[in-house]
Amino acid sequence: MGLAYHFDWGVLWRQPYGIWLLKGVWLTVQLGLLSWLIALFLGIFIGTIRISRWRWLRVLGTTYVEIFRNIPFIVQLFFWYFAGPMLFGKTLQFHINAIMGLNYYVAIVGLGLYTASRVAEHIRAGFASIARDQYQAALSTGLTEIQMYRYVIIPYALRIVIPPLTTEFLTIFKNSSIAMTIGVAETTFMSYKIDSDTFHGLEATTGAMVIYLILGLSVVKLMGILESRFRIAGLMGRK
Amino acid sequence: MKKSFTVTICLIFVMTLIGSVVLADETMERIEKTGKLRVGFREDSIPFAFIDPKVGKHVGFSVDMTHELVSKLSEHFGKKVEIEPFTVTSKTRIPMVANATVDVEMGSTTYTQEREDVVDFSLTFFFSETTFLVPKGSSIRTLKDLNGKRLGGARGTTNLKAIEDQAAKGLFKPKEIVTVEGHAQGFLALKTGKVDAYSTDRSLLEGLRMKDTNPENWRTCDFAIAYEPYGYMMRKNTSDFRHFLNDTIRWSIKTGKFFEFYDKWMGPKGTVPIPISPAYKSYLEVIVYPMQDNWWRKK
Repeated sequence: MGLAYHFDWGVLWRQPYGIWLLKGVWLTVQLGLLSWLIALFLGIFIGTIRISRWRWLRVLGTTYVEIFRNIPFIVQLFFWYFAGPMLFGKTLQFHINAIMGLNYYVAIVGLGLYTASRVAEHIRAGFASIARDQYQAALSTGLTEIQMYRYVIIPYALRIVIPPLTTEFLTIFKNSSIAMTIGVAETTFMSYKIDSDTFHGLEATTGAMVIYLILGLSVVKLMGILESRFRIAGLMGRK
Repeated sequence: MKKSFTVTICLIFVMTLIGSVVLADETMERIEKTGKLRVGFREDSIPFAFIDPKVGKHVGFSVDMTHELVSKLSEHFGKKVEIEPFTVTSKTRIPMVANATVDVEMGSTTYTQEREDVVDFSLTFFFSETTFLVPKGSSIRTLKDLNGKRLGGARGTTNLKAIEDQAAKGLFKPKEIVTVEGHAQGFLALKTGKVDAYSTDRSLLEGLRMKDTNPENWRTCDFAIAYEPYGYMMRKNTSDFRHFLNDTIRWSIKTGKFFEFYDKWMGPKGTVPIPISPAYKSYLEVIVYPMQDNWWRKK
């Protein structure tokens, strides 16, 4: 007997807990990467239409960004999971709700849509930082407007926004822990589960912390490589 | 030298204590002497033992059973025995029973092996069952019907663990086990068709069902996948008193008093309606042995 907490780090690798954590990490990686794909492509698209010539496109982009970045992600996720299928009508809703692992797909799409709004803002800022004469110069070489974006502006903008996008890429892994609230058994979920099974929450949480830290540092390293690989001399500050 | 002396004194003391226990159950003796039964009641264990805000007194199923017990004790001793109520909490109930502040705790304490090491328990009088809430027209009627179904449970509950454990053992093969954050979310998952059956304690499921706008659209299953037995708790080595309490429970089942109390608190119009499952009903029937009228008479 005693009030002292007895540490038992074995809960991090003893079976079945070790396997639980590994399964959790694998899900976190899947959630992060897959939703990042959605966020990146949708974000670039939304960011681009926000500076488009046509007003209705700009309005569409702005509406998207303001809706998605102003509602807490946990609320959005809950909405997509429970109310989302209802948007598809009575019969289709029934089939959607019957999908195996629905919460997993909802988490990926939900996290992707949310992060897309943030990526879009960075992209827009990237465009804004490109001098106006770059646009004029591109058009004067005979490129069409779409070609101008495709070959000149977007390649510039993407390089400029690599540092802020690194932050978003990191955040997507951290935000993926919120998927726990709709029952996706990712890293945080598993560490809580180990806690409720063994009452060794301190060790389980520390384990989760270390895992997130490793994931985050890997992302930073990866984005660093990307940044130097695609660097254009003179475009940004020298290394 | 000094140490062995102390040990000897202690030994003599313990021997005397054991001697007296063997001779007579001191709890029964004390009840007869003082005319009082000291009972520990919870204040929040609805519907077993709780404070009725209107009268400020302990009420509930187990409190009614206590009244039944003292009326039998009164007849046994041929003198009026009264209840001396003490308030206990889930934290203080075991120490207060073990250190003899109260003679018995009458509430809704789960009978476990760890507790059996410290105190004694009466017969199990109630089972908190882990079962499932399903739509009224659901095909889930027996354990086997859970095969291929999607089952829901709340994170961190013993109920979810029971599903996982039993599915791992192969007792049933669900298509998917869906974890939710709480019972309200679980019911929502059931309503939106994300799970075919949602699981927690039967009493809680009935509570969820009753809160719905259309309670008749849902039903709890007759079977259960895990049980938590409730018993009354008393000091160790009070076998006469325990025997008397157990016979009071048996007698109340035999005479139907038990079901009167049950109906009052957990019947369809009770505080927390909990249908008696077939398993629970059979259990109550089999624990009653043939009893003579006036079994409570002093021999």
